[in-house]
Amino acid sequence: MKTFFALIISLFWVAPAPPDAAAILKKVDQNMSADSQIVESTMVIHGRRGSREVTSRGYSEGKFKSFTEYLAPEREKGTKMLKLEDKLWIYSPSSDRTIQLSGHMLRQSVMGSDLSYEDMMEDRKLLDMYTAMVIGEETLSGRKTWVLELNAKVEDVAYVKRKTWIDQERYVPLKEELFAKSGQLLKKTVMSNVSKIGGRWYPKSINYKDMLKNGKGTDFNINNIQFNPSIPAHIFSKASLKK
Amino acid sequence: MIKFLFKGILRDRSRSTLPIIIISLGVFLTILLSGYIRGMLGDMVVQNANMDTGHVKIMTRAYAENKEQLPNDLGLLEVEELKQNLALEYPNLDFTPRIKFGGLMDAPDENGETKGQGPVAGIALDLFHQESGEAERMNLKNSLISGSIPDQAREVLLGHEFTEKLGLSLGDEITFVGSTINGSMTFQNFVISGTIKFGSPVMDRGAMLIDISDAQQMLDMPNGAGELLGFLKSNSYFDEEATEIANDFNTKYSSSEDEFSSVMYTLKQQNNLASLLDIMDSFSAIFIFIFILAMSIVLWNTGLLGGLRRYNEFGIRLALGESKGAIYRTLIYEAILIGAIGSTVGTALGIAATYYWQITGLDISSMTKNAGILMPSIIRAKVTPDLFYIGFIPGLLAMLFGNMLSGIGIYKRETATLFKELEV
Amino acid sequence: MKLAFQIAYKNLMGAGLRTWLNVAVLSFAFVMIIFFNGLMDGWNQEASRDSIAWEYGQGQLLHENYDPYDPFSLEEGHGVLPSAIANEFESILIQQGSIYPDGRMLSVQLKGINLDQNTLKIPTPILKNSEADIPVLIGKRMAETTKLKEGDEVLLRWRDINGTFDAANLTIAGVFDSNVGTIDNGQLWMPLKKLQSMTGLDNQVTLGIAKKESNYAAIGGWKFQSKETLLKNLSDIIATKKISSSIFYLMLLAISLLALFDTQVLSIFRRQKEIGTFIALGMTRQQVVGLFTVEGSMYSLFAIVLGAAYGTPMLWLLAKTGIPIPAASQDAGVAISDTMYPVYGFGLIAITILLIIIAATIVSFLPATKIAKLNPVNALKGKIQ
Repeated sequence: MKTFFALIISLFWVAPAPPDAAAILKKVDQNMSADSQIVESTMVIHGRRGSREVTSRGYSEGKFKSFTEYLAPEREKGTKMLKLEDKLWIYSPSSDRTIQLSGHMLRQSVMGSDLSYEDMMEDRKLLDMYTAMVIGEETLSGRKTWVLELNAKVEDVAYVKRKTWIDQERYVPLKEELFAKSGQLLKKTVMSNVSKIGGRWYPKSINYKDMLKNGKGTDFNINNIQFNPSIPAHIFSKASLKK
Repeated sequence: MIKFLFKGILRDRSRSTLPIIIISLGVFLTILLSGYIRGMLGDMVVQNANMDTGHVKIMTRAYAENKEQLPNDLGLLEVEELKQNLALEYPNLDFTPRIKFGGLMDAPDENGETKGQGPVAGIALDLFHQESGEAERMNLKNSLISGSIPDQAREVLLGHEFTEKLGLSLGDEITFVGSTINGSMTFQNFVISGTIKFGSPVMDRGAMLIDISDAQQMLDMPNGAGELLGFLKSNSYFDEEATEIANDFNTKYSSSEDEFSSVMYTLKQQNNLASLLDIMDSFSAIFIFIFILAMSIVLWNTGLLGGLRRYNEFGIRLALGESKGAIYRTLIYEAILIGAIGSTVGTALGIAATYYWQITGLDISSMTKNAGILMPSIIRAKVTPDLFYIGFIPGLLAMLFGNMLSGIGIYKRETATLFKELEV
Repeated sequence: MKLAFQIAYKNLMGAGLRTWLNVAVLSFAFVMIIFFNGLMDGWNQEASRDSIAWEYGQGQLLHENYDPYDPFSLEEGHGVLPSAIANEFESILIQQGSIYPDGRMLSVQLKGINLDQNTLKIPTPILKNSEADIPVLIGKRMAETTKLKEGDEVLLRWRDINGTFDAANLTIAGVFDSNVGTIDNGQLWMPLKKLQSMTGLDNQVTLGIAKKESNYAAIGGWKFQSKETLLKNLSDIIATKKISSSIFYLMLLAISLLALFDTQVLSIFRRQKEIGTFIALGMTRQQVVGLFTVEGSMYSLFAIVLGAAYGTPMLWLLAKTGIPIPAASQDAGVAISDTMYPVYGFGLIAITILLIIIAATIVSFLPATKIAKLNPVNALKGKIQ
């Protein structure tokens, strides 16, 4: 009898304890973030009359500085975007003007995608804005994941609740859902094509979808990514927009 | 005989000048008023046609379904080719593309940084080709407060109040910020070529008018348009003609399976204009009937007067032995001649004036100072086919009946009393 | 003078058909002038009344940062109404949101209004009686644009004061029918308290609608626009319409006067013997001129009587049933109803009567002046001159 109890207890002990959500997110960070990055990517935007691709190269340093230059198609070529802290400028070669986006303009979609500028602007750490906890496990396309729920702990966030599915082995997010206060699902992100790049796991394809609108959403494919390259400081200046 | 009468008419001024003038005037007024009634009752329709519906409008099915949301991404493609085909197939119509769009106007300070911004409601139309007639349709010349209508790329007309609010003046360069039909952000610099005031607060605050080519480039819709408006060359809406064209077009071009196939709507099918048009038709019929009645009285009196004036002459002719029938017949022939001349002159002048009025319009804006109004302050008449007989027939008949009546007196006169009557 | 009237009356009655044709035409001009002006006045009155009832109230108090023509000003353009005057205004809060009918995004203005208000005609009792979580009222135009109807649910997304997204289904509690497009297009009306709590803007108000007529001087942070200022655009438009229709009926009047003029010329020409007799019997020429003038102007009296005879029932009927006008120029920002009801004021009728009589008298007098030049002997003989 004793042994039976011991067995039961030991079973409980052996069962994996729900890991600490914060710890999981930290490990995810190690995969996903870098001190600096240079990413070349193609965005596939699906419209009612067909799809189109937009290629860009993005430089980023930490969470506060980023610079994006659009390479193709011809029309977007030369359009540049600079984000420093909470400010965003766009330069368009056709008008040769740099416009600072603010307020309502940040709610516009980026290049017609299901992503808004505002979505891109968020640079606070998730753990600074949300309290995270693991609420379960699920298997997504053959990979075991932790399901994390993040609830806002500060007031000025766009989404009060997020849910994210983290690969238990590779510590890469595979899916994310963003919710309104009422619990209504607003946006969904699905990551796939997870590959090993420079010693880390990284999803090379991401699909963003505004759940309120019809359509297939926007695919974001990474063609090339460098972690921790050295980026000259002048890139992150307004002067570089006009170059 | 006719030659003889004609000479008589020409030489006896009392026989010709006054009646012809009065008949011409009457016929002229009848036609002008008929044309005016049609034009006036139609001005709400004209307003709609010019600003929004055209006499016919072509859109894609998908665009038409959500047209209030200005879904240019679902708009027409290959508009030039379509226009060329249409010009061959429907030579009675002028087609002109329009794009309606929204966005922001951003005014820079001297360093190129944003000084002020405001939302704009844009209308792009063919301004560079005079023959498109778009400037007249939108009543731009009269709406201009300052400057001129854009005549080269990257020029814009802005709502007057908008420029005042942002402290802008003519020649300033400003940037339009909006999104292309693909959703990319688009920036386009414009030079303010003029400011306008339509009288509608919404338009005056945020109106932005540019040439269609600029919009196509800016919104990334090369050779595209939201809508293709068709205007009958006669400048006036004729429902039967428009319906026939629309039916023909829709059989040829439209398919319910393809949401991007184009579909044509007549003016009557848009903006609930059908009942207005029907009311107008019955209204103008009543007015014209009454007017012709009034005109007939005038002309009848003229005819009577003409007969009476020649009382003496007929007496002398009777005394000289001419038969009563012969005199009566010459009187009637003369009346027909005079009526025909007067009616022809009146009809010609009336139609010419109506047509002129239709083309140029009567600007009543000076009568409504300070009232710069979106509704047409230009009143136009309208030439319709019935104007060719609507004045002519009553002109001729009234003269004829007037003379016939007054001429009856000829038969009443007795030769025996003639000399006494005439005191010769 | 009495004699003149009697003679004129007998002459006119004797002339029969031609008199009646002239009278009929003149009466028609008379009725038309009244009808057209009545129509315009009716439109003006109704449009003003509707604009006041649905939109303007007795004036509006706008937050100084709010610009009705700039939707982006809504973000900053709100505040708490000063308590001293808060009771004199109906509070309206306006915020932006998006609805997603059929998966297409549509920007809308959310307008919060008190449920117990009776300043504006917005049928707030429907909201009050609705059990839906977010009941809204929309106008008929909005219903057409969005293809929504009563009882439909549609997803609404909005942001609160912190910019946090929220979304919920709203229920169309009712569709109202208003002639005023500017409170209809792209707008959702909902309970004020609900909107304030949804957005976290407690007690915040974008504008106030004055309940009573009063002149409010500058109030710190708010600007007052009087009813008259708000209505100016409307009355300008109607003034233009009046002119364009006046051209028509003045032309009609002109031609009926031309007919009258012509008839006068004819009758003077035909009745020379009569004129000669009058003068031979001792009437002065002026008296004869007066006689003919009275005769001519009597046409206008007949016309007014005749016009009143058929015009009264006709105009009354038109005023009762109205003239159906499709809402074709809604977006011009002018209230225009489906049906226009003419209104015939006493002043309008009196002025029109006076106009007809004076005009008829003048055109009758002009040909009659010829009499003054007549040689009575020749006239008596019937000699044509």
